[in-house]
Amino acid sequence: MSIYVPPPRAEAPVQGGLRVRGLAKRFGERTAVEDLTFDVRPGEVFGLLGPNGAGKTTTVRMLTGLLKPSSGDAEVWGHSVTHDGESLRKVVGLLTEQPGLYDRLTARENLRFFMKLHELDESVAWSRAKHYLDRFGLGGREDDPCGSFSKGMRQKLAIVRTLVHDPRVIFLDEPTSGLDPESARTVRDAVAELASEGRTIVLCSHNLSEVERLCERVAVVRRRLLALGPVRELRRAGQSLDVRVEGDAAAFVPRLTALPFKPNVLVEGGRLRVMVAEEAQAPDVVACLVGQGARVHSVVPSQRPLEEVYLDLLRKEET
Amino acid sequence: MAFRPRRAMAVFWKDWLDLRKNVGLLVSMAVLPLVMVAVPIGMVWTYVRQPDHADLRTVALFYDPTLPLGASAARFLIDKSLTDWFGIFLVMPVFIPILIASQSVAGEKERRTLEPLLASPVSAAELVAGKCLAALVPAVVLTWAAFILFCVGVDWVAWPLVGAPLMPNTLWGFGVFVLAPLFAFFGNGVAVLISARVNEARMAQQLSALVVLPLVGLVGGQVAGVLKAGLGYYAIQGAVVLVLDFILLVASIRLLDRERLVSRWG
Repeated sequence: MSIYVPPPRAEAPVQGGLRVRGLAKRFGERTAVEDLTFDVRPGEVFGLLGPNGAGKTTTVRMLTGLLKPSSGDAEVWGHSVTHDGESLRKVVGLLTEQPGLYDRLTARENLRFFMKLHELDESVAWSRAKHYLDRFGLGGREDDPCGSFSKGMRQKLAIVRTLVHDPRVIFLDEPTSGLDPESARTVRDAVAELASEGRTIVLCSHNLSEVERLCERVAVVRRRLLALGPVRELRRAGQSLDVRVEGDAAAFVPRLTALPFKPNVLVEGGRLRVMVAEEAQAPDVVACLVGQGARVHSVVPSQRPLEEVYLDLLRKEET
Repeated sequence: MAFRPRRAMAVFWKDWLDLRKNVGLLVSMAVLPLVMVAVPIGMVWTYVRQPDHADLRTVALFYDPTLPLGASAARFLIDKSLTDWFGIFLVMPVFIPILIASQSVAGEKERRTLEPLLASPVSAAELVAGKCLAALVPAVVLTWAAFILFCVGVDWVAWPLVGAPLMPNTLWGFGVFVLAPLFAFFGNGVAVLISARVNEARMAQQLSALVVLPLVGLVGGQVAGVLKAGLGYYAIQGAVVLVLDFILLVASIRLLDRERLVSRWG
């Protein structure tokens, strides 16, 4: 089966947002990230996907000014990651995989610490923080030590901390990890709202259904860029046909897989799931089945879930 | 990048708050000054209780064979003990910052709070300054408070023999107000360096604490009569520690570099 991978496009320069050009990072002999090029617009939620160790965290660290690139450059809301470390860190918010809170300090003290580090007017910053605390159900717990918080509460407080300085670009690493479904939904709504305010959001997640719901475009990385494009376009790359046939569906598989475009075929009870590169191949599939005497009840083209596309990309990369 | 005192003070504020809520650490910090004050007062009291004991003269002559016949051996030994004890007293301003700084630097790594902190605009120099202040201020304040208690206690128990205040004297005044901050900076610098190399606060404490051994060794030399302590002797120690402090400061700023911290522990 072939998957259409949209090539990285030379996009028009954006004001604000992210502009990444040939970004690479090497630790000694080991290359963690190689030649990443992509743009993210203001107001966009962008998914950064990849397996563990693929270089997502290294990429985010370079884009937040924590690591210097070995080569290439990136502009984050107009600030170069190689030259403007301090001004860059003022406009980015980073939610790390671990909440990283000070357990002996209260929620209020944790937030005030970051307000002070960003030299904010605390009354203004606190009203912003309070808005999110209330929204995430932490209102009334401001003066409790973080050590007494549940995992979900810690995660939500870490998100509030990420937003306390009103960042223009927000990097979220597994933002709904450890949250109950209701809280996860609240966070997703907040993410969408932040994007609608014109902020750029980069979401790193292994929760692909969440990525599908939130992100307009995604990049799949494994050290280098494997795919980049709108979620819808990636899902369309390699559609599937759900075919309901009478009798033993498995019997039709050998001739289907022998078609010139060699589709992958899965058998699910009386259904065949035939992966095709494009919808125009559907008549050939139907003709092949009918030619074998199959009684075809229905043929429904469907887009593949992002998870399947993602796994195919990784498998393809491995081979 | 310009040094912003407000950000350094923010780091100090947070570490200070954290310290105030760390009961275990506060207890550890309080024990040492109590010992440092109680032991010399006990020694002085022993000499004052039996000033004419024959053995005191024997001991005094071991240290100073030229001690005049009419001179009080007890008074001589009190003066000698207080001078020698100063070397031990200096362990306190070295050790307290070690307790605090190893918690505050290696602790950031242990609690995984380092990455969000480094993602803020704080610079390495501001981070070092804030963390140094958070370790130095409590150490120096505790040392001074212990010194006041020590002076009051020594003068109170020595009064029946001496009939005048013994403390503070020039050596102790110079030591506590000039040397103690330098030694505190030294202890802090060592703890920051070691904390930046290990992953656990406890290990950082244990390794950093080894730096007090040379100090104890020097006091051992004094007690054995090999080294003769005095103002000049401690001034030389101070000059050496001042140079070490400068080296440690430069090394700390280099070691707390974002790239190095994140790639090593992130």
